[in-house]
Amino acid sequence: MAVNIETETGGTIWKCLVENGQSVAEGDVLFIMEVMKMEVPYEAPVAGTVSDLAIAEGDAVPEDHLALVLT
Amino acid sequence: MTRGADSALMRAMSWRDEADRIAARRAAATAQGGPEGVEKQHNAGRLTVRERIDAVLDPGSFDEVGRTAGDAETGENGELLSFDPANFVLGFGEIDGRPVVVGGEDFTLRGGSPTLAGLRKSVYAEKLALEYRIPLVRLHEGSGGSVGTPKRPTPPSPVFDAPRFRTVAETLATVPVASAALGAVAGLPAARLVSSHFSVMSKSTAQILVAGPVVVKRAMGEDLTKDELGGAQVHAKNGTVDNAAEDEAASLAEIRTFLSYLPGNVWELPPVMACDDPEDRAEDSLVDIVPRDRRRAFDMRKVIGPVVDTGSFFEMGRGYGRSQITGLARLGGRPVGIWANDGRFLAGSMTADGAQKARRFLELCETFHLPVISLIDEPGFWIGSQAEKDATIRHGANVVLTAAMLSVPWASVMIRRSFGVAQAAHYGPGGYVLAWPSAETGPLPVEGGVAIAYRREIEAAADPDAKRRELEEAMAAKQSPFPRAEAFAVHELIDPRETRGLLCRWLKRQAPKLETLKGPPRFLPRP
Repeated sequence: MAVNIETETGGTIWKCLVENGQSVAEGDVLFIMEVMKMEVPYEAPVAGTVSDLAIAEGDAVPEDHLALVLT
Repeated sequence: MTRGADSALMRAMSWRDEADRIAARRAAATAQGGPEGVEKQHNAGRLTVRERIDAVLDPGSFDEVGRTAGDAETGENGELLSFDPANFVLGFGEIDGRPVVVGGEDFTLRGGSPTLAGLRKSVYAEKLALEYRIPLVRLHEGSGGSVGTPKRPTPPSPVFDAPRFRTVAETLATVPVASAALGAVAGLPAARLVSSHFSVMSKSTAQILVAGPVVVKRAMGEDLTKDELGGAQVHAKNGTVDNAAEDEAASLAEIRTFLSYLPGNVWELPPVMACDDPEDRAEDSLVDIVPRDRRRAFDMRKVIGPVVDTGSFFEMGRGYGRSQITGLARLGGRPVGIWANDGRFLAGSMTADGAQKARRFLELCETFHLPVISLIDEPGFWIGSQAEKDATIRHGANVVLTAAMLSVPWASVMIRRSFGVAQAAHYGPGGYVLAWPSAETGPLPVEGGVAIAYRREIEAAADPDAKRRELEEAMAAKQSPFPRAEAFAVHELIDPRETRGLLCRWLKRQAPKLETLKGPPRFLPRP
């Protein structure tokens, strides 16, 4: 089942650690946002393959932004 | 005399005809808005109020009050021609074997807009809960009064009647009140929905509206659907309701879960459950969870989960005031209120809405004698232009003073940051204070504090950035919890893996004190 990874808050993409087609394990850090001077890591809730990557380092993204899909 | 004549005589001499008429009215009441009305409700994907009541209660426990209330039309011989039951269904029942009062509007009759008997039964729900001193569950789908002519116009209520909302307010200081929005809820039912200790809306079927789309369009010129106006995407994020659940069944399940942590009334203590999760369980992940990199956020829910009894954390208000986490849990089977910061959202700072959420949560804990456990990673009040526009300092001071006046036992665990005036909200009177090695505390975080206190020194340095970093590191070292422990400014400096065991032991020691706290709160709880 596909799992949508959405941003919980607005902020800036500080580091993006995955690319489309990459396999990830549960708990792997996918990307790190900067919010209020804090680095907020987003971890994979399940193992899967990354697709529909819609973030790049330096992007300012809003809350509920669909960052990527894990299938 | 024939056998038939004998029987007719017997009927005339007894009350059998009346008994049959009572049965006919009861059957009509159970039929609600009739097969068509019920089918319409089902086709819209919603349960009827009677199905909702059966779903929220233990099976077979519903004991109805006022089944014969309604508008009856009778023939010359007293036979029932038609019967419109009161469109509010009310009664007693049980949840996990404990008694409750339950009621809700019947949307299949006049769209839940109150009939005379319906309104009387609806306002009687609070009176029943107060009289019997048992929790109240309200299942809402309906609107307020209608300007349309009712079947039987009634005079307005006398001028000397008590205000209708007085009992609604009194229940909040007396018994747990849990409510659900399961369809469109507008006007009076919407006000009663939110006048509760816990409210939940069904994402797939509910809307909450002060006034519906037609009224809004006429008055405001806004052309919106009822979902756009008052669906879960609006109200799950603004604090109107505590939680939004996927559907009706999930909403009703949340009400059962909520009540499982609470006593039946303010004269009782929260129910202790059997617990097979070892009280001294030490979860190894806790020692690694706070990153040494001070700018790296961590997931506070991964602290809460391993500390409390496995699977016992019930979060309330996740959708709003999101820098603060509030919910109920158990430690060794004993219910507690958990309040924590979420550093992943606005750095965990105290926002205006987060402060309102925390204040209301603390009042819930105080009213029902739930010890508070705060897991602290508080950087201070939220700052900036939006924070000023939101009156953050007023709402923030509100929660700080609420905490200062609480009488329930309180344990504070300094997980990471504990800064500014806002951190005072996380420590209750006579509290038990534990500090993790990652704890930092002071008047404000070093990043801001150094920039202000050492401005001239930094500006004068050959490499201002390097100087600022050097000063920040020196100051951060001073904020270590070790000197605080040496000065007995915390009870214990602990290995994070000891948190559960210490909190369980502390909680057990509160039993005698909790006994002395039984009774009504010293303040009037408000929605």
